Amino acid sequence: MRRISGQTLSRLGLAAIVFVLFAVSDPDFATASNLNTVLDGFAFAGLAALGVGVTIIAGEFDLSIGSVAAVAGIIAVLASGLGLVPAVLIAVAVSTVFGLLQGLAIVRFRISSLVLTIGTLIAVRGIAYVLSGETTVIAQDLSVADAIKQRLWIFSPFSLTTIALFVLVGAFLKYHRWGREIFAVGGARNEAQAAGVGLYRPIAVAFALSAATAGLAGSLVSLKSGSATPIAFEGLLLPAVTAALIGGTSLAGGTGSVVGIAIGALTIRFIVSGLSLRGAPFYVESLAMGTLLLLVLIFELVFELPGARSFWARRRARGVVAEA
Amino acid sequence: MSQAVESPVGAAAAPTEEAGSRAHLVMPVVVGAAALLLALVGAVTTPAFVTGENVLNILRAAALVGIVALGMTFVTMSGNYFSLSVQQTAAFSAIGFAAAMSWGWPLPVAVLAVLALAALIGVLQGGIIAAGMNPIITTLGAGAALFGLAATLTDNRTVRVGSTAAEFLGRGQILGIPTQSWAFVLLTIVAALVLARTRFGRTVILVGANAPAATATGLNRAFVALTVFTVSSLGAGIAGVFLAAQIGQGIVNQFETLNIDAIAAVLVGGTAVSGGDGSVLRTAAGTLFIAILTNLMLLRGYPFGLRILLQGVAVIIGVVAYALLRSRGRS
Repeated sequence: MRRISGQTLSRLGLAAIVFVLFAVSDPDFATASNLNTVLDGFAFAGLAALGVGVTIIAGEFDLSIGSVAAVAGIIAVLASGLGLVPAVLIAVAVSTVFGLLQGLAIVRFRISSLVLTIGTLIAVRGIAYVLSGETTVIAQDLSVADAIKQRLWIFSPFSLTTIALFVLVGAFLKYHRWGREIFAVGGARNEAQAAGVGLYRPIAVAFALSAATAGLAGSLVSLKSGSATPIAFEGLLLPAVTAALIGGTSLAGGTGSVVGIAIGALTIRFIVSGLSLRGAPFYVESLAMGTLLLLVLIFELVFELPGARSFWARRRARGVVAEA
Repeated sequence: MSQAVESPVGAAAAPTEEAGSRAHLVMPVVVGAAALLLALVGAVTTPAFVTGENVLNILRAAALVGIVALGMTFVTMSGNYFSLSVQQTAAFSAIGFAAAMSWGWPLPVAVLAVLALAALIGVLQGGIIAAGMNPIITTLGAGAALFGLAATLTDNRTVRVGSTAAEFLGRGQILGIPTQSWAFVLLTIVAALVLARTRFGRTVILVGANAPAATATGLNRAFVALTVFTVSSLGAGIAGVFLAAQIGQGIVNQFETLNIDAIAAVLVGGTAVSGGDGSVLRTAAGTLFIAILTNLMLLRGYPFGLRILLQGVAVIIGVVAYALLRSRGRS
């Protein structure tokens, strides 16, 4: 426990250093209005990171979140005539059911989650195009999103919802039996199964959660802008994974914390905001994020944090059992 | 020496092969038959499908994805899942080739320089993966970094080849067949021979089938990881050169769907993501299947969304069917 809090502290320190560097070098950075933008970005990337993080903790990986977010955004905009809350609920419900089915299929057919989710990544993107008629769909009543656009000092309803969700998911993972099962099958799958933990529930819950958070992020962002395009959120996976890894989620499975993921998401939003304030074009963001992810990986390798050498360790530990 | 290595290879590989023997025999036939059936359906229902020009279209479209998918097959066979950076590597190579040609470099020098660059990109990623990092995450990060780097270097602008020296490479035909299709066929043969007949190929297969046994018998897993990512990066580099030569320019978002297209070809072909079980010919058959499917849907005027939806469904059906087939073979 002491060790975990120590790691959390060092991650918080990293986030603080990044924050201070940008705040000192750019007077526009630490303003309430920019921090409001940063936190909205945090809400977006953080939600996706939370979902992907949970699947990584479960020892799996969900590649399909970008496509799911796009479909959820389109559904929410199409349903926006019903009002903000029903539109979001419908979009999230559809996403959740999809994620649940995806998780069940992974266990039932013993397919690697990477393989199934790359198939659904393609197919669900196709659904986004079909649903939207291949064009941008626009909400009929743009005032539907007024509630999300409010500013409460540096917060917004979007970022507050995300923070609340982080607390809820964190409590669920730590204190609820179903949540602890996710850690168990991620960390030591064979032992967990021998101890009587079934695979269906934790994997299905993890993928349902992942699709639900991606769907929530996609629908809220789309409603906020009043429109949704089928091509949206293609780059969602990268910040999500980077945030989860900066946050100390181990690729070996079984290790990770919601607080760490939140700090990771906050760190990368600081960087993105700092770069965009300087007028850097979008592709510099891609360069920075990709380099950051590689640095995190190399850092993990060099310092042998838990999770280093994870890939081969996992192949050794699991053998052919679940990797058909 | 070779005997000492060979006998444990046989012993360790035997259980997998035995278990999957039915799948082994059935799969390439199934994919090939599916591609043929699809071609037959196309010929009957869509008159424009069987014209000579359209067949050339299919061959040309299949070639670039196919060349990349061949390299990807090595990655998958070695148990390293996929590379998510081949499309960025291909675009980077296309830009590099266009730039080198516009600087007036001789064609062979430009091609070799670009392939060396592609190999280097592969070595860097392979190095991180060989050290023990997850291949998907590594290539995800490397892909984003490469995209950002290429866009930054070119200011996100198009780089023109600016000479006709490379035209034959991209648009020429030998005996009526496009150059890139010849390259695809030749590379398929080479890759199939390397994977099935050389010691390196068998090492890749064994490491993919059973990593602990491979380590125990002294095979160098890290070296395999390093090499397979270099091979897949080289495939992407070749595709980049061909496309830049074909359309006379390089730009950063030139290959928007190459990652998933190449992965789809490998998966539809039936190479197992767990490693060790698959073949280059299966991937070639998978590439043809997807090329024929895409071409048919294009001719019939299916919108883009429906096309990728059906492509995704084909992948999902494929992987579920193969997973069921394999678990049957095992039990």
